[in-house]
Amino acid sequence: MFPVWEVPNIGSGWVIGLIAVLHVFISHFAIGGGAFLAFTEQLAYKKNDDRIYDYLKKHSKFFLLLTTVLGAMSGVGIWWAIGLASPNGTQTLLQNFSLFWAVEYIFFALELATFLAYYYTWDKLDRKTHLKLAWIYIGISYFTLFAINGILTFMLNSGGWDFTKGNIGDAFFNPSFWPALGLRMFIMMALAGIYAFFTLSREKTMDLDVKAYLLKYSAKWLLPAVILGPLFVIAYLFTLPEPTQQVIINGLSTIGVGNFSIMAKAIFMTMVFAVGLFGMVLAGPYLNPRAFNTSFAVMLLAAGFGFMFTEEWSREMMRKPYVVYNYMYSNGLRKFEVDKVNKEGFFNHHKFAGAELTTLKPNDELGKGQLMFRYQCTSCHTAKGNGYRSMKVMLATRDKDAIKNLLTMMKENHIVDNKGVAKTMYHGYMPPVVGHQDEIDALATYLATLNSDPAKTTTAKVESSNS
Amino acid sequence: MSIPTLKNLNIVQTVVDWLDERVPLKAAVEFAGHKEVPVHKHSIWYYMGGIAALFMGIQFATGFLLMFHYVPTFEGAYASVQAINMQVPFGWLIRSMHSWGANVFILVLFIHMFSTYFMKAYRAPREFTWLSGLGLVGIAMVFGFTGYMLPMDEIAYFATKVGVDVAGESPFIGPYLAEFVRGGSEIGQVTMNRFFSLHVIALPLAMMGLFGLHATLIQLQGISEPESIQKLPKAERKYEKFFPDFFKKDVFVWFAVFVAFMLVVTMKPWGLGPQVDPAAMAPIGIKPEWYFLSQFQALKLFPAKILFFDGVHVAMVFIGTVFGSLAVVPILDSTGKIPFISKFATVYGVIFFIGWLFLTIWGSL
Ligand code: HEC
Ligand code: HEM
Repeated sequence: MFPVWEVPNIGSGWVIGLIAVLHVFISHFAIGGGAFLAFTEQLAYKKNDDRIYDYLKKHSKFFLLLTTVLGAMSGVGIWWAIGLASPNGTQTLLQNFSLFWAVEYIFFALELATFLAYYYTWDKLDRKTHLKLAWIYIGISYFTLFAINGILTFMLNSGGWDFTKGNIGDAFFNPSFWPALGLRMFIMMALAGIYAFFTLSREKTMDLDVKAYLLKYSAKWLLPAVILGPLFVIAYLFTLPEPTQQVIINGLSTIGVGNFSIMAKAIFMTMVFAVGLFGMVLAGPYLNPRAFNTSFAVMLLAAGFGFMFTEEWSREMMRKPYVVYNYMYSNGLRKFEVDKVNKEGFFNHHKFAGAELTTLKPNDELGKGQLMFRYQCTSCHTAKGNGYRSMKVMLATRDKDAIKNLLTMMKENHIVDNKGVAKTMYHGYMPPVVGHQDEIDALATYLATLNSDPAKTTTAKVESSNS
Repeated sequence: MSIPTLKNLNIVQTVVDWLDERVPLKAAVEFAGHKEVPVHKHSIWYYMGGIAALFMGIQFATGFLLMFHYVPTFEGAYASVQAINMQVPFGWLIRSMHSWGANVFILVLFIHMFSTYFMKAYRAPREFTWLSGLGLVGIAMVFGFTGYMLPMDEIAYFATKVGVDVAGESPFIGPYLAEFVRGGSEIGQVTMNRFFSLHVIALPLAMMGLFGLHATLIQLQGISEPESIQKLPKAERKYEKFFPDFFKKDVFVWFAVFVAFMLVVTMKPWGLGPQVDPAAMAPIGIKPEWYFLSQFQALKLFPAKILFFDGVHVAMVFIGTVFGSLAVVPILDSTGKIPFISKFATVYGVIFFIGWLFLTIWGSL
């Protein structure tokens, strides 16, 4: 096991989230935008229209800059962030998919090489040959989508896959693979349209009729998402693990109080963003292309990013409390180890935590509790302040006894009866607390100090009434 | 209308023609296209009225749905709101939209009001557009005040009590006014009846009527241009038809604003405080909603006695005068031909805006 990375106040989840979504937002463009270039070049070729060619040259420059510079930076950023925040998760991913990652990297290099060739030969190759390069690019980038999709869907839904002797092919083509692949494709096409709106809006010298034509044309790239998207979402939801389905259905209609309120909120916002984008594209570039300008384009990009953010966030939440479904929790704990750790004691089991414990004074309850919190809770919670899922806020008025009860419940988190019905309400979004009773009591002692100022807690009560 | 033969049958066209003979559709579209919207660098403010209209729509729609489950009784209200929040499917959503919507609506109205003020859109012939607009802000704020009481949680009750007590301090009519609003000497079922019927019958009718006037005047008179644009040579001034051109932009912005709005509505669903116990002491630090804070803060600044007068009375008259001046100053400047008054209106607006912002922020601390 590795040490835990802590980001004060925002919590490591948000840092990973923002970098990851930025990366997704760009890398999806690398695929969808590639398809856009190819199909549009095909169109220009057929119409033999220089004006479309001129636009494509500029658009491909934008494409190159964005995907290589920002795309690569955010990609490295992700590995750095998950590597630090959840080293065990990364390890499992690397172990099980090392072959795929290697292939992925080769394809990424190929992708880049093809695109550079494509970009620098606009005026050097004849149009027919150049067009072929575009199709080659699509072929390669589509393969990366294929590979990534297998990995992501596996993390969310490992099905009944056996981690010790399962067949890697079954892991890859897990039940969610095909619906998720379709959805990603539609989203990529939609994003390609949205990015094209942006570069089109920057065109100052383009003939207005051509611009209007291309805006309308780009708007049609959202059609598959609009028409087929909902069907695929339903298909996708049916492939998810049963408990996840239940949580989604119950959560949506009673968001204010549901256990899984955050996930329901994320899913709900994904739908709102989708509807909003549809309305904006319809009223804007599709029906009113002549009045379209950069401000509108930026609003569309922002809405697109919002959609990606909530969509990726929903997917992450569905997998909570796991990093790899049914196998490893977000805080690095492996599911099959739970009973063992409870027997051995947390600090005996976890080498790094145990080492840190020895640096404390022998009877430092508070320090011990804080360590428990660092290692078991900070992958999802901040301690003080109003940060990401702040413990101080969530615990509010609870005293030490109440906190002890809560931790006892959290200890039984993973226990479900043979129908899959959980013993505690925390099941499905938090990993169980693990450790000996004295270790858990130390955690309670620490948590109880977060809100020990009684004056503050009473005002918090009044204020919470209208928030 | 020519009789369609199979050859030239165009279903949409046929239906439109049929309808047009009975309802003057084409005339309506032409009427709407008649209005032109100037296109220039300050055009962004022209979206504000439309956004206000969007939120008016949201308030009417969600309010209508809330009434399916809300029980307007002194004892039952709290439980019914709790049920809306927790049991009624998507009740949390409708209530959160309505409560957040009320605040955003008023915020947008303020922005709309200040922007039309500073663009001097109130000048002749648009004085009545301005006055009807002022009436709409007033109505919106009364909407807010009456609505705030309805959930009957602790803060709702005590904020209402404070508000009515303040009104009771007005010179001469104060005590009668407070008595009339409460329907007695204490806030109770009768108060609730009055607030509820204001909130769901009288105010909506008044708002729709006044908005009808507002919108009709705008349609007839067109949108004004700020002075800086009026000065430009004709060739540099651009216009677009309100319908369908500007309207499509309006729709785009509506969707964008709606998504942003829903983000807040969903991520921070409107809560419900503890049930009120009218016999208990008011919790300390009760404050009115943010849009009443400037008045509330101003009140506190007056000493108890000014010469022979009660400080509160002087304060109420002062506050009333300041807000009333919003109806007077633009009328003085309505010709725009007297440079001194025109300057004065601008400076007055700036002072008003800064003072209002300052007091609101101070009041919230
Ligand atoms: C996998 C991520 C994850 C981990 C790890 C995690 N939690 Fe949570 N926790 C959540 C989520 C999600 C919620 C629900 C948030 C919401 O509904 O807004 C939550 C809610 C809570 C609440 C509020 C529940 C209530 O009944 O009010 C407490 C208290 C809490 N967590 C304590 C802990 C403690 C202590 C730990 C460490 C032992 C921990 N959590 C570890 C994800 C996590
Ligand atoms: C229910 C509330 C209101 C709605 C729905 C509404 C709606 C509108 C709309 C759609 C327009 C045309 C577009 C624009 O200029 O923004 C407009 C213009 C205008 N509004 Fe409002 N409005 C409301 C309240 C107000 C208020 C509170 C004021 C000021 C006190 C006001 C003053 C004006 C003026 C002066 C114009 C003319 C602008 C011009 O010609 O340039 N309105 N309103």
